[in-house]
Amino acid sequence: MEIFLQLLITGILVGSIYALVALGWTLIYKCSGVLNLAMGELTLIGAYVCLTFYHWGIPFVLALFFTLVIGFILGILTEIIFLRPMVGEPHLAVIMVTVGLAFFFKGLVMLIWGTDTVVFSPPVFPIQPVFLGKVVVGQVFLWAFVASIILLVAFVSFFKFTKWGLSMQATADDEMAALSLGVNAKVVYALAWAIAFMAAGVGGTLLGNINGLNISVGYLGLLVLPAVVLGGLNSIPGAIVGGLVIGILQNLADGYLSRFTPGGVKEVFPFAVMVIVLLFKPYGLWGWVRIERV
Amino acid sequence: MEQKTNGVILKLNNIEVMYHEVILVLKGVSIEVPQGGIVALLGANGAGKSTTLKSISGLLKHEDGEVTDGSIEFMGEKIHHLSAEEISKRGIFQIIEGRRVFGHLTVEENLRVGAHLRGTGSATKERLEMVYHYFPRLVERRNIMAGFISGGEQQMTVIGRAMMARPKLMLLDEPSMGLAPLLIKEIFEIIKKLNQEEKIPLLLVEQNVKLALTVAPYAYVLETGRLVMHDTSEKLKENPDIRDFYLGLSDIGEKKSFRHVKHYKRRKRWLT
Ligand SMILES: Nc1ncnc2c1ncn2[C@@H]1O[C@H](COP(=O)(O)OP(=O)(O)OP(=O)(O)O)[C@@H](O)[C@H]1O
Ligand SMILES: [Mg+2]
Repeated sequence: MEIFLQLLITGILVGSIYALVALGWTLIYKCSGVLNLAMGELTLIGAYVCLTFYHWGIPFVLALFFTLVIGFILGILTEIIFLRPMVGEPHLAVIMVTVGLAFFFKGLVMLIWGTDTVVFSPPVFPIQPVFLGKVVVGQVFLWAFVASIILLVAFVSFFKFTKWGLSMQATADDEMAALSLGVNAKVVYALAWAIAFMAAGVGGTLLGNINGLNISVGYLGLLVLPAVVLGGLNSIPGAIVGGLVIGILQNLADGYLSRFTPGGVKEVFPFAVMVIVLLFKPYGLWGWVRIERV
Repeated sequence: MEQKTNGVILKLNNIEVMYHEVILVLKGVSIEVPQGGIVALLGANGAGKSTTLKSISGLLKHEDGEVTDGSIEFMGEKIHHLSAEEISKRGIFQIIEGRRVFGHLTVEENLRVGAHLRGTGSATKERLEMVYHYFPRLVERRNIMAGFISGGEQQMTVIGRAMMARPKLMLLDEPSMGLAPLLIKEIFEIIKKLNQEEKIPLLLVEQNVKLALTVAPYAYVLETGRLVMHDTSEKLKENPDIRDFYLGLSDIGEKKSFRHVKHYKRRKRWLT
């Protein structure tokens, strides 16, 4: 039971990071219909940017803030340069562009930062674990959770209470109707990419603090796919819950099943769940049945 | 500028519209909407009514359509080359057909999106009050997701949503579509009131010809992309063709069987 609790809580803490990245992914899909396969690489870039700032001696919180700013700018540039020319092209072509983006970003990272694992040094968070009742967790997990929740709340408030947030949701619902009210869809797409880049950057930074940073953080970013499939692709609450659930399942699988295998359960299990969800509930837990309009 | 337009707020000069650079849909359409007036645009399915509205609002460009000839002037300015956003900034708002609410937003959030170009704050609050004044039914629905309210309430929401934008001209596409007669009456009374009290000019597309001719003092009739008639509603109501094809009345004034009218329309379409 203690082991279970331990795994569950660690799962939730890590899952909150996935939830953050999944929110970014879902936003792009909701607003512009683009199925983005470069999300892992977005997390990678953000993580390296933050690490670079940190190693320049900028305090971590400030470095994280700069990462958000850079993410915002990169998101808008990515949309304008790579996605905007593809508006109106077939879905598959757009997906291939995101695959191309993934390779491009990965190459860029290897070019600039190399392929060796790097760590945030000095460590950002104290090494001593903390006790939550009988459960022991590293402080890094706890702070990652706090940071993710703060950002999630910030993003959700943005959607609920600001003009552009509402207009983004409106565009996701019915783009033509939003256009008829003077909403500029190009700005909406660009904002979606900006927010996704910001969320991914922070997510990547937090993951990098936990495991150290190398190209494989990009694969962790890819875990958003099972998360969003579980949540239903276009539901923001779905993405958040999906992220948490994937974090939990991943940890439980690791704790209980990895003994019986040579390894890799932790990596594979979320995708196995994704396949099962697709088989039985193709629209996920909260997804809308999307009505295709041309 | 105002004087130059002689009380005409919107003027379509002989416009030609094409989709995908090949499909010619409007062939020389000229329409005028007077300041503060209501003008109806009538015609059968596929005549090009919605296309006409979309070419005015600029939404046409998002369906790969283009005004290839003629011009559209709004308050003396040529607008047909502008983007939909620029045109809405000038005060033209189209209410597209089919009650297109934002289904996952609440009624009030829908209305707020209507104020997108008008910023937020106290002005929005005032506008909300105004919309609720005209559509009191929406007050108790304000926090419900718009996907779950009735069809009539959805129609009210989309009209109210456009009202939020302080329109200088409203383009209404078939507000009666698929609604019960009593509800249609209610909505049309509100539309009339909006025109009279808020002084908003309207270009109204309708298939319900009888109703349109009672609300709008002037009407145009479109048939497969061409204007075939335009006159005051009084005169149009007396016109034998209109009585026959659109009002379903023969000269004696009795109602013709629906089938007969349909048949006639079909034959007519083959001929054109
Ligand atoms: N996006 C488009 N691409 C190609 N053709 C189109 C497009 N939209 C409309 N059309 C064609 O243009 C013609 C006019 O369509 P439009 O929607 O303007 O008619 P309408 O008078 O509004 O009809 P309804 O009463 O059915 O709404 C139709 O023949 C239609 O097939
Ligand atoms: Mg139409």
